[in-house]
Amino acid sequence: MSDPDEELLTRVGEGDPAAVRALVARKLPRLLALAGRMLSDPAEAEDVAQETFVRAWKQAPSWRPGGARFDTWLHRVALNLCYDRLRRRREVVTDNPPEQADEGPAPDRGLEARDVGDRVSAAMQRLPDRQREAIVLCHYQELSNIEAAGLMGVSVEALESLLGRGRRALRAALADMVGG
Amino acid sequence: MTHERFEILAQAYGGDIARWPTAERDAATLLMAAEPEFARIVLSDAGELDAALDLWAPVAVSPALRDAVAASAPTPRRRWSLNAWFMRAGVGAGLAAACAAGLVVGVMLSDAPQAPTMDDTVSAAISNYDDLSGLVTLEGA
Repeated sequence: MSDPDEELLTRVGEGDPAAVRALVARKLPRLLALAGRMLSDPAEAEDVAQETFVRAWKQAPSWRPGGARFDTWLHRVALNLCYDRLRRRREVVTDNPPEQADEGPAPDRGLEARDVGDRVSAAMQRLPDRQREAIVLCHYQELSNIEAAGLMGVSVEALESLLGRGRRALRAALADMVGG
Repeated sequence: MTHERFEILAQAYGGDIARWPTAERDAATLLMAAEPEFARIVLSDAGELDAALDLWAPVAVSPALRDAVAASAPTPRRRWSLNAWFMRAGVGAGLAAACAAGLVVGVMLSDAPQAPTMDDTVSAAISNYDDLSGLVTLEGA
């Protein structure tokens, strides 16, 4: 399987400024979306995206095709950085967990009045980390099941189980928006 | 493909079979053709959740972030040809030698006795002449 980023990486490794800009344009939105959805904090997501690129610049000159795709490698780095931050958050709030916001519709307000995106975001943040990661990788990042399972270090069957449980939890949390 | 497997895949990957595992799409397509009503209900159900998930917009990339990330890339490496390297090395060595030579000459000149100039010689002659004039005057007195 050829890596669609290979040619660009070679040029980045040679110090081509145009290739640097092209790689940033191609990958930054994906990495920021990944980190944003894993962390639900735009500022932290930006930090993760920047740190991921710092590592990418170091890796680019010595990148060799044949192993994992560069995009998959980037996801692995970004996910590790996200998990570092999630772990730090848990250490801070262990003794004082924040109250869970009520995601259900208020009786005096219609669904139209709600920001649906915020509802989805809140529901996603309440998922266990591994279920959220599976949905972010497969639904939002559009990775294949094999890539996502490989990144998460689980079998495809385990990935499907995480996806199924996560989506069922989301359906329950968004029951007023999603029929069934 | 069984009904159960079709439902598991829809629950995991959503209502668009284009996003299902490649190896299972053909079998899913056959089931859709054989039992369209069953497939429609299952896919529609999963598709509603997909649509809701898609309303969560990603964090937008700001120009400041884009510029900062691009600026964090290493600066371009200079590619010097061998000839250019030797030329630059030669010029550099020449300049260094010239500087060193200038320094040595400068130090030597500052330590060496000052050679008499033309003005100094004339002054000395005048001075001697004055002295001689004095002697003549004394002898004549």
